[in-house]
Amino acid sequence: MSFETVLPYLIVLGKCVFAVAFVMQIVPLLIWGERKGAAYIQDRPGPNRADIMGIRAGGLVHTLNDVVKLVMKEDIVPQHVEKFYWALAPVIAMTVALVTFIVVPFGDTFMGVPLKVSDIDGGLLFVLAMTSLGVYGIMLAGWASNNKFSLLGGLRASAQMVSYELAMGLSAVVIFLGSGSLSLSVIAEQQALPLELGFISIPAFNWNVFSVPGAIAFILFWVAAFAETNRTPFDLPEGEAELVGGYHTEYSSLRFALFFMAEYANMIVASAVTATLFFGGYNVPFLNGETIRANADTLVALIGFGAVPVLLFFSALAWKRRNRPFYRAIAVDDIRHREPKFWTATWLGLAVVHAGVGVLGLSGIIGANGPTGIGPDTVAFVLQLTALALKVLLGCWIMIWVRWTLPRFRYDQLMNLGWRVMLPVALVNVFVAAVWIIVKESLFA
Amino acid sequence: MALPAPRKKLSTPESVYLVEVIKGMFLTMSHVIKNILDQDRFRTIEYPDMRKPMAARYRGAHRLTTRPDGKVKCVACMCCPTICPAKCITIIAGEAADDPAEKFPIEFDIDMLRCIFCGFCVEACPKDAIRMDTKIYEINAYTRQDMVHNKSYMINLMDGLKPEAEDVYRAHPEQAPAGYTFDEKPVA
Amino acid sequence: MAKVKINDTEIEVPNGTNMIEAAKLAGEEIPHYCYHPHLSIAGNCRMCLVETTTPRGPVLEIACNMQARDGLAIRTDTAQVLHMRKSVMEFLLVNHPLDCPICDQSGECRLQDYYMEHGQYDSRGLDPKVGKNKRQDIGDLIVLDAERCVQCSRCERFGDEVTGTGELRLMNRGDHTEIGMFPGDRLSHNYQGNLADICPVGALTNKDFRFQRRVWYLKETASVCTGCATGCNIQVCHQEGEVFRYLPRRNDQVNKSWMCDMGRLSYQEIAGLKRILKASVDGKAVEPDVATGEIATRIRAAGAAGVGFVLGTRATNEANWALLQMVRANVPGARIFVVEGNDGGQAAQGDTLLLSGDRNPNTAGARLLARHDGNVGDRLALLAALPELKLLVVLEDDVLGRLGAALPPVVFFGAFKNATAQAAAIVVPTAHPVEQDGSYINRQDRVQRVRRAVNPVGESAPAYVVVDRLGARLGKAPGTQMVAAAFNGMARAVERMRGLEFKGLGAEGRLLAPEAVTAVPGAEAST
Repeated sequence: MSFETVLPYLIVLGKCVFAVAFVMQIVPLLIWGERKGAAYIQDRPGPNRADIMGIRAGGLVHTLNDVVKLVMKEDIVPQHVEKFYWALAPVIAMTVALVTFIVVPFGDTFMGVPLKVSDIDGGLLFVLAMTSLGVYGIMLAGWASNNKFSLLGGLRASAQMVSYELAMGLSAVVIFLGSGSLSLSVIAEQQALPLELGFISIPAFNWNVFSVPGAIAFILFWVAAFAETNRTPFDLPEGEAELVGGYHTEYSSLRFALFFMAEYANMIVASAVTATLFFGGYNVPFLNGETIRANADTLVALIGFGAVPVLLFFSALAWKRRNRPFYRAIAVDDIRHREPKFWTATWLGLAVVHAGVGVLGLSGIIGANGPTGIGPDTVAFVLQLTALALKVLLGCWIMIWVRWTLPRFRYDQLMNLGWRVMLPVALVNVFVAAVWIIVKESLFA
Repeated sequence: MALPAPRKKLSTPESVYLVEVIKGMFLTMSHVIKNILDQDRFRTIEYPDMRKPMAARYRGAHRLTTRPDGKVKCVACMCCPTICPAKCITIIAGEAADDPAEKFPIEFDIDMLRCIFCGFCVEACPKDAIRMDTKIYEINAYTRQDMVHNKSYMINLMDGLKPEAEDVYRAHPEQAPAGYTFDEKPVA
Repeated sequence: MAKVKINDTEIEVPNGTNMIEAAKLAGEEIPHYCYHPHLSIAGNCRMCLVETTTPRGPVLEIACNMQARDGLAIRTDTAQVLHMRKSVMEFLLVNHPLDCPICDQSGECRLQDYYMEHGQYDSRGLDPKVGKNKRQDIGDLIVLDAERCVQCSRCERFGDEVTGTGELRLMNRGDHTEIGMFPGDRLSHNYQGNLADICPVGALTNKDFRFQRRVWYLKETASVCTGCATGCNIQVCHQEGEVFRYLPRRNDQVNKSWMCDMGRLSYQEIAGLKRILKASVDGKAVEPDVATGEIATRIRAAGAAGVGFVLGTRATNEANWALLQMVRANVPGARIFVVEGNDGGQAAQGDTLLLSGDRNPNTAGARLLARHDGNVGDRLALLAALPELKLLVVLEDDVLGRLGAALPPVVFFGAFKNATAQAAAIVVPTAHPVEQDGSYINRQDRVQRVRRAVNPVGESAPAYVVVDRLGARLGKAPGTQMVAAAFNGMARAVERMRGLEFKGLGAEGRLLAPEAVTAVPGAEAST
């Protein structure tokens, strides 16, 4: 077996690891964002007790604590559960959430390798199929727990997911009507094309969301995504006020952690899919792959120097915080006094590093003039991945933001909205999209 | 039967939800941004490190005062167990052989699980022997028995507190009990 | 009789009645320190000043030295009277140390009470107070604090007039007047406790009660001392099932306001080591019911001729009556005895004031029942019958000690571990007098009640209940579970008790009807 025969498999394996790592690295960040976001919305400081050598990192250490706690906790298996299915449920939930991500492209190409785990032709269908499978995890958990609250939670989840899947699927129809393909990479690529208005060509604003049916489809898809991920205002399956913990009442330790992480993984995947369908996926506005590669040096310099003032501002903010009443209250020799200094130094250091990056860009050794051809591809990969990550994080932040702003729906309101509002609107939107495409083609073709 | 609550008729933009949802989200986001830029907006008291400055009249754990010669001021007159509405004070009186006060408490127990912190005992005391000016509100123990504060505990209460409360009192001198003296310690 | 007017109330009292007492009858409290109904009039505290009208106009006089006569009118509520009270209180408190937190008297202190009513409240005192001797050990039962004294001289008069020993004296003059003892002298009589009682302030306090309990915690139950045949009326002061002291209760026919120290300290035996707490059979502790059943078995085995019963001179009338009824109903033909004498067999010394040489509270009651039954043997009869007896059932008394002879197997119902109890085969604990209701007949043939103040200790129950249970085992209960039923049954049957009712005995007791025939042999001579 030569290296050449093994290489494609190694590449696929590497991409798999990358995709899982991408999702799993964002999960703790989201948990932190959820807690801190909730706290800031409610005018309180949020978690801030755990520290490593006095550095509390704004509560990020709590997430680490959570991991340790959830792993070390006793794994309680109630006597009355259906053991096999009960154990299977969190695995399904987590697996499905992670698997969905394989069809999402996180860049165009790197050294000729397409940056997606698997370019399935029916990628969009795969997404819908996987989200449909996700309901099995919750249903199994609810049923196998042999507990009326869990069962009710599972029932609500399945009913709600089935209902909103329709609207979700119909809103996705709009996308592939326009693109003519179900492949997410094709859809992403098409959005990177410049917007042709007949008389002018703009290298941006060709995202699917920038059209009447696309915008409507986005709203429908996004709302349905909330329901599919069981996020507030559609988190009835785990409505703690009436159902204790819903379908995960009986789970503890790492099994609960799987459900917990699956929820956040689902959020990430839903955001990624939404970004790919409506917001150009990995595309950087005004900069398509060729432009990035052609101007790699300039971009590096711009980004390097552009980040410096931001980082300096952060540094100043951190320095200012040393005067908070908290630091005046704790003992003079308390280890946490080093924290503002640490962050000031860290941000300053990062500013210096970025300035260095900027200098690197000015020197011109990254782009086509560099010693190897790897430079422009790396710049494109980093920028596109960053673009996707930012879009995903923004989507996730909106989900968190909505959760701490809106109250939960009542169950009948939920069903009303799904069947009597979103489904008809989505159906009509399909016709609107068809008309829109015909009109657009007849106008600009 | 519950009566249906009267509900406001929603206007058309309200019935679409989206507008109202976005209005609400802007409100919460404005809080987030303000809080990131200025963390002093928080009213949170980060408890173990920061403490609410208790009012001067706050009634904390009881302490027994002593005379200059170190003996307890209490003469076991039984006024406090008499006035105590929770009946949480138990005093056993004894005769002090060579003391002009003649009488002293052999045992002076307060069951803090029963105490309702009304402060009547302090009011009733003719000798200023019991006070609730410690501002100690962390009254806790692992056993019921330990929740009964006895004579020596209440005499030495402020001494026992010093290592824990020292920094708090240094940071907030207004919280320190009357007559509290700081240990000599260099301030950085 | 004299018609006197107190404020606006007209009342008729016997001629010569003290006006403080008359006012009390009229519902008017006249404050006083030095006046005591059973001591001579001293008139030195000046607290009882009242206004009376004379030909010269209204004047202030001391009520304690005023005797009721027809047409006498006094007022206790005029501005002048109130002002005088306030002024007197101010004088009395000029040198008072105000150590109420330490003082045992607080709670029952006249100074405190009258200060709250008539006090000056704002002190005008500028000079230092005159210090006097504190905490003087002047007797086995009394501590003297001269600073607290208000010089009322009650204790001095008590020593002169009641005990005749005259130890305490007021010395020096002016505000240096001080109560005290002659050097080297020490209280030694048996009535010291009364000094603490009559002292209106905390100058004389009881050593035994010192710092034990605040008086406002104590509940008081009217009862009778069972230390001797006198039957002094007492208040049992107790809190939460524990008795802390006995106080004399005024009964002009029996003990006036006094009681002896022996009786006063006898409260200690209630929870003392000598109490019997558990029933036992042949030295083994058993349930009282088991012991009662065993008694019944042994009585049956001994047969009517082989069993003797001894009524108790220390037991209540109800218990004796229950035993008598029980024997006559269930063991007809069994012999019954009363053994007089003191426990331990020693003759005791009485005195001329209160203490009787007969230390049994109910000798008269046992005799009464013996006379009523007509077939009850005495000490000699029991001695003679001893060889024939196989079982002797004893109620309370130390028959072994009194008889001084070996006894057949004994069943003992009693509260204390005396010699008989220690020798007994079966012991069933009974309640102490403060733990039960009942009646005793004292040496004056006065029927007096004891009242339940605390719960019986251990497994003990009132003797009449225990005997009733035994009767139920033997076949026919005498029906004396309830004390009133027992007493009223006895009162109906016994001739000299006719007309008496348990509820009607009152605070001072009732005398028996006079005896129709000659006096009982061996009656008290030392009264």
